[in-house]
Amino acid sequence: MQPQLKSKVRCTDREVGEVTRVIMDPLSLQISHIVVGGNGAGGPERQVPASTIQRVTDGLVELRAPSSELESFPAFKRDEYVTIHEVEIAHLEEHVHVESGEVLVPVPELERNVKRRAFFANFTHSIGILIGLPLAYPVLRYLMKPMYAPLDNGWIKIGNANKIKTDDVGVQFKYKKKVKEAFMPEAEVDKNVWILKASPDTLEKVYKGKDMDFQDQTGRVIWTNKRDVPYVVFSGKCPHLGCGYKWRSHKVLGQVFLCPCHLSIYDATGKVLDGPAPRPLDALPIRVGPSGEIQIIDMEFKAGTRSQTRIV
Amino acid sequence: MSAQAPSMSPVKLGLAVWWPAFWSGIPFKLTIALLFLAMGVPSWEMPGIAFLLLLSIPIDIWAMGVSARTVFLEQLRLNPPDSLGLTLWWQNAILSALYLPLAYFIEISVIAGAKAVTNRIMELGLMKALGVAERISINLVMWSSVSTVVLIILVLVYLWLFGRIVRRQAAGARAATESYQGLVRSWDLMRVPADQPLMLTVFTATGVLLVFGLWAFMPVTTPHPHESYQQSKGKQVPDLRPVDALKKTEKLLAQAETRVEALEAKAQEETKEKEKEKGKGKSKGTADPTKPKAEPAKAGEKPSPKQ
Amino acid sequence: MNGQPTALEAIVAFVDERVGLKQIQAKMLNEPVPGGSRWAYIFGSCLLFIFIMQAVTGVLLMFYYVPSADHAYASTQYILHEVDYGWFLLSYHFWGSSAMVMMVFAHMSQVFLWGAYKKPREMIWLVGLALFGIVMAFGFTGYLLPWDQRAYWATTVGVEIMDKTPVVGDFMARFLKGGPTPGQMTLSRFFVIHVMVLPAALMGLAGLHLFLFRKAGPAGPFRGTHAELKAKTDYFFPRQIWKDIVAMSAVFITVCSLAFIEPVVLLEEATPDPGEYHPEPEWYFLFLFQLLRLKIFSGEFGQFLGAIALPGAFMALLAALPFIDRSPERNIFKRPVALVGWLIVMISIVIFTVSAIINREFLD
Repeated sequence: MQPQLKSKVRCTDREVGEVTRVIMDPLSLQISHIVVGGNGAGGPERQVPASTIQRVTDGLVELRAPSSELESFPAFKRDEYVTIHEVEIAHLEEHVHVESGEVLVPVPELERNVKRRAFFANFTHSIGILIGLPLAYPVLRYLMKPMYAPLDNGWIKIGNANKIKTDDVGVQFKYKKKVKEAFMPEAEVDKNVWILKASPDTLEKVYKGKDMDFQDQTGRVIWTNKRDVPYVVFSGKCPHLGCGYKWRSHKVLGQVFLCPCHLSIYDATGKVLDGPAPRPLDALPIRVGPSGEIQIIDMEFKAGTRSQTRIV
Repeated sequence: MSAQAPSMSPVKLGLAVWWPAFWSGIPFKLTIALLFLAMGVPSWEMPGIAFLLLLSIPIDIWAMGVSARTVFLEQLRLNPPDSLGLTLWWQNAILSALYLPLAYFIEISVIAGAKAVTNRIMELGLMKALGVAERISINLVMWSSVSTVVLIILVLVYLWLFGRIVRRQAAGARAATESYQGLVRSWDLMRVPADQPLMLTVFTATGVLLVFGLWAFMPVTTPHPHESYQQSKGKQVPDLRPVDALKKTEKLLAQAETRVEALEAKAQEETKEKEKEKGKGKSKGTADPTKPKAEPAKAGEKPSPKQ
Repeated sequence: MNGQPTALEAIVAFVDERVGLKQIQAKMLNEPVPGGSRWAYIFGSCLLFIFIMQAVTGVLLMFYYVPSADHAYASTQYILHEVDYGWFLLSYHFWGSSAMVMMVFAHMSQVFLWGAYKKPREMIWLVGLALFGIVMAFGFTGYLLPWDQRAYWATTVGVEIMDKTPVVGDFMARFLKGGPTPGQMTLSRFFVIHVMVLPAALMGLAGLHLFLFRKAGPAGPFRGTHAELKAKTDYFFPRQIWKDIVAMSAVFITVCSLAFIEPVVLLEEATPDPGEYHPEPEWYFLFLFQLLRLKIFSGEFGQFLGAIALPGAFMALLAALPFIDRSPERNIFKRPVALVGWLIVMISIVIFTVSAIINREFLD
């Protein structure tokens, strides 16, 4: 029990006054001193260390020193202290129990019925949820609107096959693609693909005996690259992270497709020879007209995955 | 109660004085360096570095003094001798002048040597199987770990030497007799200037002047313009002022109206004259030489106003 | 009292009578710092300062910047080349973001080394980790806004890496990009996240962080007898605030200096093909970027492991830290596991960052 304010203070021989103030240590959060005053003799209040307290009972603090020793304790200097309302010490007030009795305020009559409080509280929660809820679905659709746009399967003319002179050599075809994004004015994006005139060996390695099907979102086949057409077109974006790669001479591996970003290397069939590429080069639908005019469907695939997922 | 002066190793002592002294000087040196930068004078090249070192001298003496006196009072429980800052500063200056070039040379050599050895090890072919990124990191760890260890040793040696210098000053100092709280109060009050209004006014005024200097010197447009950026030239689109434009148009229309009315009036007169002349001409039988001129002019100028 | 109160005193008395101003002030400012105010405690306040400077310079930049794909680059160049001191404000904002990341690392390290995450400060630590995530998100979203090659490609690579997360990766990546590929929708989303969502989150969480900190009280130094701590105790105001403000001014001057030494210069405007440019994230993500180049992290699952799983596991470890490390010992020299762990993490980050810089020469 902590010494209570206003309780009487008694030394070993007689009563010497009452507890006028209590001093706490900010670090240990314990009472360090009591201030004893009001002994009527007109002397100063004395600051008595807590170690001098022998026993604390309700209304009485007994010290283990005789009253003659009281003068040896230092006089209390008020201006070396501040009240706990003038300073911020964490958790201090939880350790203060020096008031005798409690200080109370009445609960209003209307709030004394627990069922009434519970009902209004729950009703408030219910209405609160109902205010927020209508927004949830529209907001989700609002934010998700552009995320799953339909795919464009139009054919684009990109050039003529007579530009390709040699077999099994990558030739870059640059073209402009018209894009319309949301509210932006229609723009032209520079894109490129690499086309090979494939020798029968290469063709066999690319197609592996099967015609190449391309499907739309529902799974319906929209085009098939026939394996007897000797032209193969690869998307200009490296399947690792989407950088533009080039046809280069490598000192060990010969003529290859090389991506400068992370040094993925592919051979003429698009197979990965070295580097972090997760899958071979992506082939696109190609159709070659009688005069050698090449058309492709411009598709883009998610980068960095082993499986090929179309995203544009 | 006076506490027993605890003994500190030279390295700890050196660090205890040098570390706060270094950081105390930093705000002032940063301010100087910034002002130089605004003027376009970088502080890592001549002459910027020379100015900075020169101006650092009084700052360092002051910082060394504050730091050393605090350590003397609080940790060594000694009364600091007079001019401790200045003494320690010039002794440290000599130490640095001798030691730093040597230490620099040693460290540079160690780095070069470690790099050479590391490259040889890498070339041995044991690590050819690893990727480029792995080899880079292993290479880096190999030479940097050796260099860092040497650097730490060099720093410790410097601190030890500096600590010896501080110790010599401590050997001649008297023990402080106050309690711990008293010592703390001493070094704390040491930081409060004797004449506060003067110090604060001078400090603030100097600061304001430096700021004005900064505003004056710093460039208005970027000192590193982009190579292909076209700065907009003098040809400006004239400001659009709607009220003036309206007034101008009104005036123009009024003028046009006046002209048209004048032309109409003239045309009417001429038609009347023509009628008269026609009448006269039939009786006279000769064509007036002035008339052909009037006719094409009439035809050209007059748009039919009555339409 | 001698004579009539001055006008200022009268106003203060007026407000105090109605609001309890003097008591509020005392409560807010007279917080004793056990063991005294320290320079080691300045990092949190410096973070607050840097955030305010970023907000101020950011708002100023918004007077001229246009977040649309066809004007972002041009408006940024306009700020740099034509608006008076625009180059300085943008460079300050740019270097301020680097300063913020450095300061976050310093603050986290100081709290960790002083053991100030232990009971009763666990919640402050957790909120702090959330704030760390927000600061990194700020850096990531802001980087895209100039819409030059560096901005566009760093963002593209970063979002693609997030895509590797199983189950939710595709949704997250499409949400951030506003579609299957980066474009105008991405810029709009990054802009609103950078200037509205993240600042609101930061202010809310920072407020919570400060409230929890005041409730728990400063942890103080990890060694010293009761008498020594008591002898050196001083109040938050003005002693700690004085140290905070000196540190803030040093930070301010350093960022200004960096703005002068290395003003922002953009690359060319963003194009869908990186061409000769090698994408690279901001310097404080370089160590992760380099980590992903190691062979053990190659392949789809490897990239997920290195980019998402490993950092995620590390953050989870940090979050669990106050609950795993329950020993009340706060002296770092008596916590060898903590000290060695911290050193290993810091040194590894430095090694990988420097390796990433060295690796630039090996990219062709």
